[in-house]
Amino acid sequence: MSAQAYKPSERVDFVVVGSGAAGGIMARELARAGHSVVVMEQGPRLTPAQFEHDELKYSQLRGITNSASASPQTFRDDPAKTAQQRPGSNPLTYARVVGGSSVHFTANFWRLRPLDFHERSLLGAIAGTGFADWPIRYEELEPYYTKVEWDVGVSGLAGACPTDPPRSKPYPMPPLPVKSSGVLFERGARKLGLHPYPAPMAINSVPYKGRPGCIHCGFCNGFGCEVMAKSSSVWTMIPEAEATGRCEVRAESYVFRIGMNAKGRATGVHYFDARNAERFQKARAVVVCANGAETPRLLLNSASAAFPQGLANSSGLVGKYLMFNKGGAVIGVFEHELNEYKSVQVTRVLHDFYESDPKRGFYGGGGTTARSAMPMGWALNTPDGVPSWGAGFKDYLAEFNRSMVALAHGTSLALETNRVDLDPELKDAWGIPAIRVTYKDHPDDLAFARWQQDRNVEILEAAGAKKVWKVHVSASTGGVHLLGTCRMGNDPRTSVIDRYHRTHDVRNLFLCDGSSFVSSGRGQPTMTIEALAFRAAEHIARFARAGEI
Amino acid sequence: MSTANAALSSRRQFLASAIACTSAGWLALNAPQVAAAAAHAAHGDGALPPVAGVLTAAEAADVDAICNQIIPGGARPGARAANVVAFIDRALASFFAAQLPAFREGLREFRAGWAQRSAESFAAAGETRQLAYLRTVEETEFFLALRRLTLLGFVASPKYGGNRDKAGWRLLGFDERSVWQPPFGWYDRDYAGFVPYPGTPAAAAAQAGA
Repeated sequence: MSAQAYKPSERVDFVVVGSGAAGGIMARELARAGHSVVVMEQGPRLTPAQFEHDELKYSQLRGITNSASASPQTFRDDPAKTAQQRPGSNPLTYARVVGGSSVHFTANFWRLRPLDFHERSLLGAIAGTGFADWPIRYEELEPYYTKVEWDVGVSGLAGACPTDPPRSKPYPMPPLPVKSSGVLFERGARKLGLHPYPAPMAINSVPYKGRPGCIHCGFCNGFGCEVMAKSSSVWTMIPEAEATGRCEVRAESYVFRIGMNAKGRATGVHYFDARNAERFQKARAVVVCANGAETPRLLLNSASAAFPQGLANSSGLVGKYLMFNKGGAVIGVFEHELNEYKSVQVTRVLHDFYESDPKRGFYGGGGTTARSAMPMGWALNTPDGVPSWGAGFKDYLAEFNRSMVALAHGTSLALETNRVDLDPELKDAWGIPAIRVTYKDHPDDLAFARWQQDRNVEILEAAGAKKVWKVHVSASTGGVHLLGTCRMGNDPRTSVIDRYHRTHDVRNLFLCDGSSFVSSGRGQPTMTIEALAFRAAEHIARFARAGEI
Repeated sequence: MSTANAALSSRRQFLASAIACTSAGWLALNAPQVAAAAAHAAHGDGALPPVAGVLTAAEAADVDAICNQIIPGGARPGARAANVVAFIDRALASFFAAQLPAFREGLREFRAGWAQRSAESFAAAGETRQLAYLRTVEETEFFLALRRLTLLGFVASPKYGGNRDKAGWRLLGFDERSVWQPPFGWYDRDYAGFVPYPGTPAAAAAQAGA
């Protein structure tokens, strides 16, 4: 619990909605700038001792993620259809604890590259899409990427990739020790003239900032780190925000509506407290960092007579242009044991196919992580060509320990029809309209994912794999990278927030998380979400000092 | 209580005591708080879901027989040796209770279909006949749901009732220890270190440091 506690009736300088990758940084930076801050988090606050190595609980029973029963969502692949619930699972998944999805992420911390910010200018328009430039450039974000690496904690080897973007400082920690998957992937890729390199990971390779180095337990992806070696918001930014004495993190507090006055200014947030009692926290300004699904939902649920189509939605784009980072997996089986269940998921990455190449006949770029599966993931995700039961399936199970996965992530084009909005019927356990997801991959997203998969087949074969299996690249029916739903831009008609994350429509309402993205990048968005948060917080504090909020 | 359920129940008691007695003595770390956290994460709180008993003995026998064709036994343990049926029984009584009505209906149809072929139970039939029937139902929702439950029970923590004696984990080669040091596997043992690409800042830094 935070030492500082504010009364809801007390008007604080800022309410930050969400305590994850962006919310934690926002809280620390605004509190350090001298402001009173209340962070609202729907989930509970867990201690390191409350995290377990229990695959069933974390991957199947929604141990720390949004629950499909209390917080259901619906899905459809076509706006003409009626969206349906899926029994027991939601299309959009995120952690619902203090620290948000930074608690359970894999911790791949790639920077975006300069081209990501102005690719529309480089390549031209893509018909039928919302492909656009960002209002900021890589050079403006670079100091904040560096700040993430040093303040939050990232391990890596600077300048290892020949196409690494410019950087002002090396990483504060060396890369994590390579695993067999990394060695094999590097071997195969180098044989083909490619340039794999040590993965940048938001996991301590050595003790850093009072947290221990990784103990290589293997339970990163989907799990919380019980020794705090993973640089999750809950172990990094949140305690530092609280240490200012000006920040309260209010767990089990579910914000469902932003309060507004007649002058069109935000006055605070309506929320349900831990006992499900409705409360209102007063604030001079509101910063929403609730993720690419919950941020647009909150704005849409804050519709009023003055804002009939949702708050800050004069553009009509709140919730639209949802992007996931399309990708695909290839499995390689080798002669000897890899023991991939040990240590961090990823130790080598490849970015040789980052740029889109018109010669391929479709748009797309990406990156590949050499990584592992855990037993349940291995058993459930049977690749193409493997019997689904019987003796042949059992033989597949037994290959777990001699296998690795080359998992590619790539671009998802922004489509106006891909969106988060409110289901017309379904409500959550608190009676608040639920998320409806409408999503269909652009054909180029699928084409590139399959193309990149074929490159990874070649790499694993060059590495000496005895068997290589492709996991079928199918149409997306959900995602965990939740991007683009309140895009930033200079023109209020074509964007929701400006280049400083202020909503075009409400002067004291700011949004910062994956929803701010204009294009998808090539995967692993959290690094950029955090860099955006440091940059946004600096500008928001500047506006506050100047009396411009 | 049926015989099958009595067997399940005694199995549960055995598991509970086995979990309680599991030693964390292997944890040879210098930092005690890290060791304690890692040990806790590996073993959880040992709490078991409530005692189940949603399947009758005859149903449990048929389910067990199907599971044991999904992951057959032999030289290496399969679903039966891993006591997957105990996991399924417990899961349907607790955290997967919402699936129980559909599961029951599916099982009823499965058994009705079998009864048209044979007077003896599915569980009592020989492997050839079991496989022949399963191939006719492998696309049904019931079979797919049971397949999923079988896989989960085979590799979920033994505290949920399946994966007996870690049979599932042993087939996969998964060792549940929580603290590891490199080398992790065969291929990283002799890795000489990352050699930077010529012309990169990393190469320049390596040269400056050499």
